[in-house]
Amino acid sequence: MKSETPLYSLHERVWHWLQALAMILLILTGLAIHYPDRFGILGSLANAIRFHAWLGGALILNAFLGAFYHLTAEKYHHFLPRMDDFTGAAVRQARFYLYGIFRGEKHPLDLDPKRKLNPLQKITYLVLLNLLLPFQIVTGVLMWGADRWPDLFDRVGGLWLLGPAHTLGAYLFLAFLIGHIYLATTGPTPLALFREMTTGEGVE
Amino acid sequence: MSVPFPHFPVRAGARYALIALAAALACGSALAGDAPPPGARLPHPALVLKDDAGHNVLQSGRPISTRQTCGGDCHDYDFIANSFHFQQGKTEMDRSLLSSHGIAAFNSSPGMFGKFSIIPNRQLTHAGIASPDDADMSQPEWLTKCGGCHTGGGISEFDLRGHRFGSPDAKPSGPLDPSYTIRDREKGTVIPWDWEKSGIAEADCFLCHVPKASRAERKKETAAGNFRWANNATLSDTGIVTAGVNGVFTYNRAAFRPDGTVKPELLDLTDPTLENCAQCHGFTARNTTSIQPIQHADIMRGTEKAGWVFNGAKIRDTESPKIVGKDHMNYPWDVHAAKGMLCIDCHFSPNNPGRMIQEDPKKNLRYKPGTLDPAIYLKRPDHNFARGNIPPETVNVTRHNTMRSCGECHEAEKLHAFLPYKERHFQALACQTCHTPAVHFWAYRSDDWGFLMDTGTSRVTFRGIEGSIVDPESDVTGYKPAYIPTPDKSGHMKIRPTNLITGVYWFDKTKGRPVFTWQVQQAFFESLPEGGEWKYRPEIVKAFGDQDGIVDIPQAVFDTPQKIELVKGLLQKYGGVPDPELRIEVVPWAMSHNNVGKGQAVKECTACHARNSMLNRPLDLNTFLPRNVPVIYGGKRASVINYQGKQPSFDNRTLLGPFYIIGNSRSTFVEWLGWLAVAGSLLFSLVHGGIRAWKGRS
Repeated sequence: MKSETPLYSLHERVWHWLQALAMILLILTGLAIHYPDRFGILGSLANAIRFHAWLGGALILNAFLGAFYHLTAEKYHHFLPRMDDFTGAAVRQARFYLYGIFRGEKHPLDLDPKRKLNPLQKITYLVLLNLLLPFQIVTGVLMWGADRWPDLFDRVGGLWLLGPAHTLGAYLFLAFLIGHIYLATTGPTPLALFREMTTGEGVE
Repeated sequence: MSVPFPHFPVRAGARYALIALAAALACGSALAGDAPPPGARLPHPALVLKDDAGHNVLQSGRPISTRQTCGGDCHDYDFIANSFHFQQGKTEMDRSLLSSHGIAAFNSSPGMFGKFSIIPNRQLTHAGIASPDDADMSQPEWLTKCGGCHTGGGISEFDLRGHRFGSPDAKPSGPLDPSYTIRDREKGTVIPWDWEKSGIAEADCFLCHVPKASRAERKKETAAGNFRWANNATLSDTGIVTAGVNGVFTYNRAAFRPDGTVKPELLDLTDPTLENCAQCHGFTARNTTSIQPIQHADIMRGTEKAGWVFNGAKIRDTESPKIVGKDHMNYPWDVHAAKGMLCIDCHFSPNNPGRMIQEDPKKNLRYKPGTLDPAIYLKRPDHNFARGNIPPETVNVTRHNTMRSCGECHEAEKLHAFLPYKERHFQALACQTCHTPAVHFWAYRSDDWGFLMDTGTSRVTFRGIEGSIVDPESDVTGYKPAYIPTPDKSGHMKIRPTNLITGVYWFDKTKGRPVFTWQVQQAFFESLPEGGEWKYRPEIVKAFGDQDGIVDIPQAVFDTPQKIELVKGLLQKYGGVPDPELRIEVVPWAMSHNNVGKGQAVKECTACHARNSMLNRPLDLNTFLPRNVPVIYGGKRASVINYQGKQPSFDNRTLLGPFYIIGNSRSTFVEWLGWLAVAGSLLFSLVHGGIRAWKGRS
């Protein structure tokens, strides 16, 4: 049954899909940079590097706009876990995914516009948006600026540190993306949550 | 960089003459009304060829003395000869200088003087010889073996203590003095050298400054110990001299003018031409389709050791030798040669006002107006020519990086618009890495003195050729270089293409130096040949030979530790080496020539940024390399040989370790952790989704 109020506002949905698109393209171009002889997309490594840098810039801008929106619209609280989210609620959510979902149990949490994320999502996004994303942005920007700020680049360890660090972050993002897309199929129907994030129409 | 010359005696008359000459050089064409075309030059003034007493040789009939002819009132002979081309490191015999450049302690100088060279497996004169066993190549023997190229003067004129041979002070310090003795290789004794008979080899100015100089004729005389007439021999092809009997040269009167000066057009004194430099340093020519670097059947350094061909002609047009695939090579052997550049354009005299570097980086000056009087340069031209620093540069260390780097002539930033991260690339790569992607000529591959052939000498192999190097019908396939890190002018390590020459030799651990060739010969052979063949000792034939008692090339290998031990024992027994050790040394001979333009340069990113990067290309070393023996690289033990595969190859992974090459370098930890995370996420999704499907849950 459709809910009265969209679970995700237009701003949130646009932000989400832009971020998703940038991330997917960043991963693809990142693979083209990391394995240039196997993922020879975009014609050349130089093109992949240039496109990767533009996409990184777009993702940073979108992240900034997203942060601005969530702060000014006072929607940041969706991402802030409560103490219970780390303990009982998280356990209940995990139990649902690992057991209840197979028995057709009801989702432990009723999502509504004021409570959009389950405890595991909050914990995941807490790490993703506050640690992994900044980590990728910092390491990525430093590598992008290797010719612009060579002293700083070398002082922080140069490619020998930044390259593997950024690569590890990318792998973790890819792992997240796979899990995220899969879990998005766990709605009432496999595509229901995708539709909800696209049209804003909620599901029960 | 300018070289200060605050005080030196120039006689007033000579000074005015030099100034007048310099002014004429500068203004001559202006007086004619037209700007001189590029490369225009005025002829050298006519000169009198003088003997060592300062008399005109036309009257005396004695050998030409360059000290008197070129020196005297015009050029400062001793200043010129006090440079590396003449001294070969003798003036730099400083132990701390050697160690600071990583030169092995058994070498005496940062030059050929006192250096142990793996290719001839010989050591030129060194100080402190205490017994005949320590004597290898003395100064006189060096002149007979190497005097064809080495330009006389310096160590060809003065003994170890700086006394001029033939002068009253020039006396041997003892029976083993390497300045006054020579080793009798057959008898194994050290005997005196008669300098009175051989004469002195003064600096051979003609070898470099006369376009028709004949190194071959010079070599004949030095090899025969006829040093006195060597400089005359160099002029054999000019029509000025004629070889006579008993090594004496006569002068052709027709080559002289009535005033006793030699005809300038015959001598044709000039700046060194490509061909002058080519006589010793490797094949160079402005534009030729026939390349025969073995014209004198001996060492041609640059060409033999790395395949350098500084030639402006297109490879496609090469008529000899047979260059495989040349039809697709519609570009010159070297792009700089094709533009008409000469060796001296880069390797100039550092105080030549027309070419000298006039910047002062310490004061942040790109141009520091030169104050050097051209007359001073003409009087005292610095013959320590500008040079770079590429491996295995263990010579002339005090003059490294005195030439202009590529970026000081080319606007690299503007020329590489296509290249992302230009500065990073320029910092990590020598220009040659992309601009010398392949060598289309042959070069030395290995020189194995560990097992001597039945010619009494080493087994030499070449890369880039199928067949003999002296056979014009051999297919020259060329080779792709290996890559090593080398320091640039500012000390940054850059990846650079290189040839690799792998030597195998015996090391005398007691003496702390390589075993001399004559000692290895004593270990391998029953007797030295007297017109006949070398004869292996029975122990060698038994261990290495076939049933017929013949040691064939494929069998002449150290394929078991027992064979190494056997020769070690023979060296102890017959060679007088108490503690020998078989060693391998991999010597890089890096690329600085054979440059191609942008059309042929490497521009494909994945040439380097890929798992199979060209930077890790496994260049083959020597099919017959022994295993489990120390490997030396860069003067130190190093793990640079990969014994896997068909034949041993160069393994530069450790050397290139400090370079993180995107697309090529991997952190094993990150790769495992990263893909484990991805695989875990995927596996969870598949298993979880599978169970959901199985249970019929959405």
